[in-house]
This record gives sequence, C-alpha cells and structure tokens, in this order.
Amino acid sequence: MVAATAARGVHRVEQIMGMPIVVDARDVDGDGALDPLFDWFRFVDETFSTYKSDSTISRLNRGEFAVGDAPVVVHEVLRRCDELRAETRGFFDVHAASDDQLDPSGLVKGWSVDRAAALAHDLGWRNYAINAGGDMRVVGGALPHPEWRVGIQHPLMRDEVVAVVAGTDLAVATSGGYTRGDHVFDPHTHEPAQGLLSVTIVGPNLANADAYATAAFAMGERAPAWIARLRGYEGLAITSDSRSLRTPGFPLVAE
Amino acid sequence: MRKEVAALVGTAALALPNLNAVAAISRSTSSTAKTKTVVATKSFTGTPGQADRWGEVEVTIVVKKTTTTNPTTKKKTVKRKITAVKVPIYPNHTDRSVFINQTALPILIQETLKAQSTGIDMISNATDTSMGFQQSLQSAILKAKAW
Repeated sequence: MVAATAARGVHRVEQIMGMPIVVDARDVDGDGALDPLFDWFRFVDETFSTYKSDSTISRLNRGEFAVGDAPVVVHEVLRRCDELRAETRGFFDVHAASDDQLDPSGLVKGWSVDRAAALAHDLGWRNYAINAGGDMRVVGGALPHPEWRVGIQHPLMRDEVVAVVAGTDLAVATSGGYTRGDHVFDPHTHEPAQGLLSVTIVGPNLANADAYATAAFAMGERAPAWIARLRGYEGLAITSDSRSLRTPGFPLVAE
Repeated sequence: MRKEVAALVGTAALALPNLNAVAAISRSTSSTAKTKTVVATKSFTGTPGQADRWGEVEVTIVVKKTTTTNPTTKKKTVKRKITAVKVPIYPNHTDRSVFINQTALPILIQETLKAQSTGIDMISNATDTSMGFQQSLQSAILKAKAW
C-alpha cells in the first residue's frame, strides 16, 4: 500500500483481458484511487472476452439475445468497428473469424484504454499513463517530469529501446509479430515480405492508433507509404536490417 | 483479491522461454559410480496459442530425457532438458484484405537504429504473438512433464 504522504503518485499492474495493464497516476494518492479504472477493465473483459463463455459477446454470439438488446457499450464498440472497417478497407472486420460470430477484440483494447483515460479525466487526474499490453495513453507528465517518455522496444532485442517519444497527450501503439529470420508474410502474395519487424503509431486516440499499427504491420513493406498518408497520426517502422522509417512529425526525443 | 503482477509490462509480456522454463522440468540427480543411463529424445507440441489478431502460434519443444538407475538401490532418476524450441506455425495474414495505396510518394526519414535509454517512463511493444507463444510453450512443457 502506498502511504498518503507528501510523495504523491501510485501505480499498479494487473493481468486483465489476457495482458498486463499498468496504471501509473502521478497526481493521485492511495492505491484505492486506481480501483475505478481496474473495475472498468474487468467490466470490459466480462463484456467483450471471446474466451469467456459467459461474456456478453459470447452470449450474443450464441444468439441468447439480439444485437439490438445488447448493452450500450457493445453498440459503441461495434459502431467503431464499422467505422474502422471502412477506413481500413475491410481490415477491421468483426466477422473476420466467421460470418456469424462477432469478435471485436481487435478494437477493444485501444477503445477501453481511451475510455479509461476519459474516466481518469473525470476523476480529476491530469498526469497519468494507462498501458495495456504495450499500447498506451499518456497524459500530462510523469511528475516531477513535465512530460511522459515512452521507449519503443526493439522487436527482436527485447532489452533494447530503439526510439523514445515524449509528449503530454499521446496514444502510442506498437504492432509486430513473429518473424522467420528476416521475414514477415505478405497478405497478398503469401510470400515472406522483406523486412518489417514492427510499426509504432502515435496520435491522439489509441483505438485508431492501434488499428492503424495493426493494419500497417500487416501491409509489410508497403506500410511506410500508407503511414505517410495518415492524418493526425505519426508512424515509425522498424526494418529487419536495423533501420527505422518515420514520419517527420513523429515525436522523437533527441538523444 | 487483486492479482498483481510483479513486473513491468515490457518485460512481463515479452519474456521468452528462459532457463526457468528448463529448470521447471529438470531434476537434479546425484549419480553414483556404476549407474545405468538411458537417454531418449522426444518432441512435444503445445496446443496452438492464440496470438490475437495474428492467428495461432504453435510451439514444439524437443526434450532429452535421461534416466539413470542406481545399481544398488534400483532407484531411477529422471532428468528432462529442453534441447530445442521450434515454432512450426507462424502467424500469417492470409485472411486480411488491407488498404494499400502506393500512389503517394511517402515523406519518410530513414535512420540506422541505435540504442536509446535515458529516462523512460513506459515501454511500447507488441505483445500479441509472444503471449500466444508463451501459452503454447507452457502447454508443451506440461506434456513433457508427464513423459
């Protein structure tokens, strides 16, 4: 427990939705102050987990009730999925797994962090970070520092950080995946595509940043061209030959 | 009660199999002078781990089992060691249709990577596949333990 002393700030890690969730609040005192956010993430898990048979989404998929009768958060998520599906030309498809099963989990992580940030704001927090499995919103500063510095992990050398971004209101999402040697798979040719190991997208909103990072990573070597055209979002791609490609506005910290 | 994870997200989510995993199925043995030793090798494939958006990851481990029999007590000591980790199923994206526009000339800055370190508050990384990897690895280790 954190004592309510002059040393302000508290953080906690919990494993929810199959990933570690970190909340680091610098202008809040007492561990209990973080409860509303973790309660929110547990609620999201109970609602959207496709791994839990009693989740709302699982019951919806079994036809226990109609979409129209689903809770309002389900409507909100499905609507965002539709918007992103259009924007990514079908990349985000809640029916991706099968035609009669909804699986919005590709969006739920980023969306739930955005909603948690809104909740934190309503609670009066102004300096905090909410990190769900490596994707995060950072707001204000890591007091006493006036901003948050986020390290982008090297996709292969996991104890190395290849870039540092800093900001006072950022969503940061990184997508990557398994590589066989230097290869990732091109979704169109089904051939190993040369050289993209991870994509990081930075912008105002994590649901979008995460969706864009996911889409860009799947594009492989075509990703940089697509990233360069994103509005309001900046990107950094790490290639297998130890180079980075980034948009000019990417908020890198000069070392 | 809350389930607390005592590590930072970066390392916790991406920890790959290490010596701890090996130690978990190894048993120390104190062999005597005239022991009989039988060595066998077998592969164990874990149930595919769901790697979220990327599909499934299936991990196979090769386990070397050394059985030593003490000639006087007839007591058998079994030692298992992971000698290889293979990932036969790689995530791919064959079902995905993506928006690709190559008409715009991208404005991008290319640099050689260099390690950075100073004053980081958070780490951003991709967790999806490694979690599926861990999941599958764990199930392969459980199978090997029963051998």
